[in-house]
Amino acid sequence: MQGETQARKHRLQGAGLDLALPYLMLAPGLMIVLGVLVYPLWDGLRASAKAYRYGSPVADVGLQNYVRLWSDAQFLNSLWVTVKFVALSVSLEAVLGFALALFCLHEFRGIRLLRTVLIIPMVITPVVVAIVFRLIYASDAGMLTALSEAMGGGAVQILGSPLKAFIGLVVLDVWEWTPLMFLILLAGLQSLPHEPFEAARVDGAGAWRVFADLTFPMMRPVLAVAIVLRTIDAFGTFDQVFVLTRGGPGEATRLISIYGYDTAFKFQQTGYAAALFVTIGLVVLALAFSAIRLLRRVDAS
Amino acid sequence: MMHSSRLTRRSVIKGGLVLALATTALTTLGLPLPARAAGKKVIIGAFADGGLTPFKEKIIPLAKEQGFDIEFLEDEYGVTLEKWFADAHSGAGQYDLYLLDDPWVPQFGAANVLEDLGAGGIDGADKDWIGSMIDMGYWPPQQGPRVKGFENAKPTLICVPFVGDLQTLTYRNDVFTGGAPKTWDEVIAKGKEGVAAGKIKYPVVFRGVSGNPIVTSWYPIFLSFGGSFFDDKWNPIFNSAEGKASADFFVGTMKQNAPSGVVEFDSDQEGAAILGGEAGAIIQYSGNALKADDPAQTKVAGKLDFGVVPKQEKAIAQMGIFIAGVPKSAPNKANSIEFLKWYVSAETQAKLSEAGSIPVKRSAFGIAKPGNRLIPVALQQLDAGALPRPRTPDWAKVEELLGIELNKALQAGSGGGAALDTAAKQVKDYLTTAGYY
Repeated sequence: MQGETQARKHRLQGAGLDLALPYLMLAPGLMIVLGVLVYPLWDGLRASAKAYRYGSPVADVGLQNYVRLWSDAQFLNSLWVTVKFVALSVSLEAVLGFALALFCLHEFRGIRLLRTVLIIPMVITPVVVAIVFRLIYASDAGMLTALSEAMGGGAVQILGSPLKAFIGLVVLDVWEWTPLMFLILLAGLQSLPHEPFEAARVDGAGAWRVFADLTFPMMRPVLAVAIVLRTIDAFGTFDQVFVLTRGGPGEATRLISIYGYDTAFKFQQTGYAAALFVTIGLVVLALAFSAIRLLRRVDAS
Repeated sequence: MMHSSRLTRRSVIKGGLVLALATTALTTLGLPLPARAAGKKVIIGAFADGGLTPFKEKIIPLAKEQGFDIEFLEDEYGVTLEKWFADAHSGAGQYDLYLLDDPWVPQFGAANVLEDLGAGGIDGADKDWIGSMIDMGYWPPQQGPRVKGFENAKPTLICVPFVGDLQTLTYRNDVFTGGAPKTWDEVIAKGKEGVAAGKIKYPVVFRGVSGNPIVTSWYPIFLSFGGSFFDDKWNPIFNSAEGKASADFFVGTMKQNAPSGVVEFDSDQEGAAILGGEAGAIIQYSGNALKADDPAQTKVAGKLDFGVVPKQEKAIAQMGIFIAGVPKSAPNKANSIEFLKWYVSAETQAKLSEAGSIPVKRSAFGIAKPGNRLIPVALQQLDAGALPRPRTPDWAKVEELLGIELNKALQAGSGGGAALDTAAKQVKDYLTTAGYY
């Protein structure tokens, strides 16, 4: 009788532990996520519904901050600059990254070294990259000016012209982040099955036919993931602009991240800045969801 | 008999709990707590600027002789305001003393995060202060318009002037052979002669980058043309006829006589242009001016002289002093105030003047051997006229709006007056939203 009770007790304890153990194991991670992710997000949402003066909340304003954004010419300009920047940079990075990945798929002498060299830009700290590009672009002592003057030309003014500064920023981003595209796409290409390609070769398909009918369609999911990841990342670009142009000349390179940073920290409009970042977060989320849905539709078809 | 030790869930949980408790106990009890500042420790936060070099090189060692243990933490100008404001507002207590740029005083004052230094025993009424400098340490300001919410508040001394920086003219004495040019027309005309003679490449140089840099460069021209920024109700009036004339002159004539890339110039580039011997004249703060006699830092040592800023109507410069505030969260508050009392004493200010920095007490201008020939010129400029920027906590935003429009006009090389109209409307809209009217 006593043995039976003991056995039941052990069974119960075992069942209880079985139930509790996963939660106990999850608890530390969950606490960290709550503390560093969920709470700040919640606090940001709360702040976005308040008006701040001199660093402190002074009134609840509901959705007014969100409404005000759409009549703020500076916000709209920053949003437009960001959209242009992301679209141009990510497109170029995707095309170049794909081209490089296709090239580096071939095995030849020195290919391992080439693959390593190609990913170097993305491992350099973004601030350092921006400083180096500043030294290249500067009109007074920049490398491009020195080169131009050596060839009989004048000072190259990249950072003083809105269009050139914007293009200069895109070039920096493409230089730094094409390697990420290259790496993801190379891994995707290397994981493709060989059989369809061998069959196509037997059927006498040319390089373009193979690319258009096999490589590209099969790579579409990988390409979509790479583009979504880079797009989300590019929306948050900050350090390079902060060092290179601070958003100028005028507002030509003022990305939403710079405007949000200035609004929050320099102008101390914490609530308004929170509304701005929540809005941008939602825009990026919507983009990501659309891309994923598109991807699923492509897969299904 | 073989003894088998099985790893059970219970033993894992028990072991984990014991480990967690032991780690907590060790970290909270067994290990020493982070060392807190003791004695006369003072942690000073400053932004990197050549104007503080004499303080760092000559005054900090003197402070150490007085028993102060100074920790001097420098940051880039562009990040200090937000960093220190967050420190003060959150009560983090990372600093004992901030060396602020004076337009930031209203932001810190309105947020009520700085100590009352008058209550700490620093005498703001001491006649030896340069009046316009000590005035900048009060919040709300003793003179001029006040922002809403502070109309009836008693002015409190929350900051004390630290280095008396202000704009003066630096010019090439081999180009302007008759001494400092008195008017802007003279600057341009003689500068062009210097270019023709091959002595310099450009008559003038200035900062053209959006925001604070371009506004700082335009401001003395604006003042010298007779412009005023706000009326006593905070209405922007900088787009008056005088203001527009100054902006047109700045983005037109000045640009045509400056390096071609001036739109992207900040203090590094303008400093390189004057110290490298390419530019004929510049209006600048003391940071680069202090390098004018050092052959290691300039190619034209001996050829750079200082003067009062040129005038159109008046010879007025912008004041932009380093000003010290003690956060309420300072870990070594008493030491900071004691340090400030020592630092602003007539004796220490005389040492600062000897070290080559512009002092904040009038008596220190009169010492027998000031350490830099800029110092007497700075006093001349103070007497001729030097004005601070408007005392509003929203100056950063105002400067940003104006700076963007001025920069756009500078890119175009024309339309300065129209840029001021656009900026005035934007400023008015912004201040309306901020509840100024």
